[in-house]
Amino acid sequence: MLSRDFLTLEGVGREELREVISLARTHADGRLSHPLDGKTVCLAFFESSTRTAVSFDLAARRCGADVISLSEKGSSISKGESLIDTVVTLDRLGADALVLRHPAAGASMLAARHTEAAVINAGDGCGQHPTQALLDLYALSEAVGGFDELEGRRVAIAGDILHSRVARSVIPAFRAAGMDLAIVAPLTLLPQEADAWGVPILDSVDGALEWGADVVYLLRLQNERMNGRSPRVPSVGEYARFYGVARRHLRDGLLVMHPGPVNRGVEIAGDVVLDGASLVPGQVAAGIAVRSAVLTLATGATHEVAA
Amino acid sequence: MSRAVNASEFVIRNAHVLDPSSDLDRITDVRLTEGRIAEVGDGLRGGRELDADGLHLFPGFVDVHAHWRTPGREDEETIESGSAAAAAGGFTSVVMMPNTDPVVDKPVIVSGLMRRIEQESRVRAYISAALHAGLEGKRLTEMRLLKEAGAFCVSDDGLGTASAGVLRNGMLYARTAGLPVILHCEDHTLATGVVHDGVAAALAGIPGSPASAEDAATATALILAAETGAKVHITHVSTALSAALVAFFKSRADVTGDTTPHHLTLTDDLVSTLEGMYRVNPPLRPDDDRRGVGEALRDGVLDFVATDHAPHASEEKELPIEEAAPGFLGHETAFAALYSEIVLGGVLPLSRLVEAMSCAPGRWMSEGAGTIGVGASADLTLVDLSEEWTVGRESLLSQSANSPYTGRKLTSRVVGTIVGGELIHDRTGARFGVRA
Repeated sequence: MLSRDFLTLEGVGREELREVISLARTHADGRLSHPLDGKTVCLAFFESSTRTAVSFDLAARRCGADVISLSEKGSSISKGESLIDTVVTLDRLGADALVLRHPAAGASMLAARHTEAAVINAGDGCGQHPTQALLDLYALSEAVGGFDELEGRRVAIAGDILHSRVARSVIPAFRAAGMDLAIVAPLTLLPQEADAWGVPILDSVDGALEWGADVVYLLRLQNERMNGRSPRVPSVGEYARFYGVARRHLRDGLLVMHPGPVNRGVEIAGDVVLDGASLVPGQVAAGIAVRSAVLTLATGATHEVAA
Repeated sequence: MSRAVNASEFVIRNAHVLDPSSDLDRITDVRLTEGRIAEVGDGLRGGRELDADGLHLFPGFVDVHAHWRTPGREDEETIESGSAAAAAGGFTSVVMMPNTDPVVDKPVIVSGLMRRIEQESRVRAYISAALHAGLEGKRLTEMRLLKEAGAFCVSDDGLGTASAGVLRNGMLYARTAGLPVILHCEDHTLATGVVHDGVAAALAGIPGSPASAEDAATATALILAAETGAKVHITHVSTALSAALVAFFKSRADVTGDTTPHHLTLTDDLVSTLEGMYRVNPPLRPDDDRRGVGEALRDGVLDFVATDHAPHASEEKELPIEEAAPGFLGHETAFAALYSEIVLGGVLPLSRLVEAMSCAPGRWMSEGAGTIGVGASADLTLVDLSEEWTVGRESLLSQSANSPYTGRKLTSRVVGTIVGGELIHDRTGARFGVRA
C-alpha cells in the first residue's frame, strides 16, 4: 500500500512504517543526492495550507524534481474545475506524483483511480493525513532514540477527534508502531461510535497522566466548535482546563506533540509550546525529510545511498 | 418558627412507619443517631423521645423542581423562605432551578449560592445550573467547572427546549461532565398561547398552546436521550401522550419522568375563571390528561412527583390570565393535595405516593437515599393524615401567596420534618418529650 500511493494509514504495517522512517533519516542526513531528478511532482491544493504545501514543495525541489503547483487561488481549481478533470490534466502533463489536499474525505482515493501518477494524500477532509502521522512518528522516534523505542509507549490523543484527519492517520500509524493509545475528548468531539478505534476514552489530560501517558498529542480546536450554530465546547477556559496541556502537566519526561498551527492557551499553554518537553518544532522540522522519503518511495525513484 | 432540637440522638416512638423501599408498613419506633437512622424496631427508648402516636413517618420528601427566585427576585422567595416552605411541606431535599437573575450559568454564581445555602437553607438544597448560557439554547455552559463548583444537575427549565441539534450536544456534554439533565419539554414554535388549547380556551377567547408543544419536544428529547446515553429527567409531564412516550423509552434510555401535584389534581376548567392565578406552564390540561398522568404515576411510568414550586409576587398574578406570570406555589400543599384528591380518591395507594414523593426521587438524587433503612441519612417526614386545614395566605410560609389551592380544605398535614436527625419543622407541639 505504501509502495506507490499514500492514501491512508488505516491498515498500515510496522515494517512499512519502519521503511519510511529509516529512509527519512537517510534524507535528513543528506546522504541522497537528487533522487527525483527528471521526475515531475504536482501539488494540487483544493484547500488552503501553509506548512504542508511549503514542506512538500521544498522536499520535492531539494530532491531534484520539477514542481507544478496548483492552489485554490489563481488556478483552474479556483475556476471550479472538478477534481477528476484537474487530476486527468496533471496526469497528461506527465506528473509522476500528485500531492493532493482536498476538503472532502476520499478525494485522494478518487483521484488515484484517474491517474497513472502516484497519489499522495496531503489531507482530505476529516479523512486522512498520512504524511502528518509519518512525520510525527519520525519526530517521536528521534526523541526517544529510534523507531524500535516506540514500542510500548503510551500516547494520549486529546481534542477534536471527530473532525480530525490527523487523528484518523495517527491512531492506526502509532498503533502499528507498537504504541498504546488513548483518546481524551468530551463526547461532543467524538463520533457517535466513540469506540470505533477500540481505545480507552479518558476524561482529561490529568486522567491521561494517571493512565500513564508518555506523550500527549494535542489536536487543534477550531473556533467554530465554540461559536458555531451548535457549539460542542463551552469555553476556552473549560477546554484548556480539561483538554489542554499546562506547565503543571510537565513531569516525568512527558512529551507534548501537536500538528500545528497551535492555539496558544487553548490546546497548549503559551509557556509550554516551545518548552523542552514540546516536540512541536521537531515535528515541523521532520516534515521535509519525511515528505522527501514519501516522494522517493511513491515515484519509485532509486534511493541507493550515495557512496 | 420551630424549635430546633440539636439532639445527637432521639427516638421517634409509635409512629406508623411507611417506607416502601424497606418494606416497612407498621407502627414501630425509629432511633436516630448522629444524623442517621440507627435502628428500627419495637420498644426503643432514648434520652429524647418524640411521641408519634397517630402520625405517619415517611422517608423525607424530595422535590427536584423548585424556584426559590434567588438571586434576583428575593421579594418573591429567598433561600430562607423557600426552604421554610419546603420544610413545612415535608421536603428534606430540594433542587433549585437556574432561571434566576442572573441565570445560574457560571461557576462563580454556583459557588456563591452554595455558600448562601449553607447559611440560610433549612433543608438540603441542590443547585441545577443552566444547560445553555443564559438559558438561550445556544452556547453550552461550562458544565465541568459548574460541577466542580457544586452544581448537581443542569437544566434550561423555564424556557423551552433548545433546537434538537443544540440539545443533542448539550446532552452529550452533560454526560461528559457527569451531570443529569432536567428537561422542561416545550417546542416554542408550537407553544404560542398561554393556556391549554382546549374547550375552556376556545370559549373564553384565550390563546391556547396545543398539547403537541409538549409532546413533540418530549419525543425529541427522549430520542436524543436514547442516542446520547445522557441521564435525562423529563420534568412536569402533563399529557397522557408524553407519559406514554416516556413509557416507550424507559427501557431504551437512562430516562425518568415526573409530574406535578397540580397536573394530577386540577384541570383546564379553571381557565374559565379567567383568573391570572391559574396560568401555569405547562398549562393545566383536560381531565383525560389529568387521569392519564395519574395512571402513569401509579404504574411507575412516571417515577415521581415534583412540585415546580414557582412563587410570584401578587402584582404578577392579579392580572388577566394572558398577562399573568405562569406558575404556582407547590411545596406546602403537595402532599396534602395529592393525599386528599388521589389517595382518598382511590387513584393511588398511599404507599405509591410515598414512593413517588420520597423513595424514587431520593434514589434518583443519590443511591442509598430516600429510605428509612439503617445507615441512611435521618431525613424524615411526619404526617397527620387526619388533620384538615384550609389553604390560605396565613397558613403558608412561602414569601408569595400564589397557591392554586387557596381557599380549599385539604386532608392531611405535615407536622414534622427532620433533616439529618434534626427536627427543622415542628408542629408536633407537646408530643416532644425529654425523659429524665
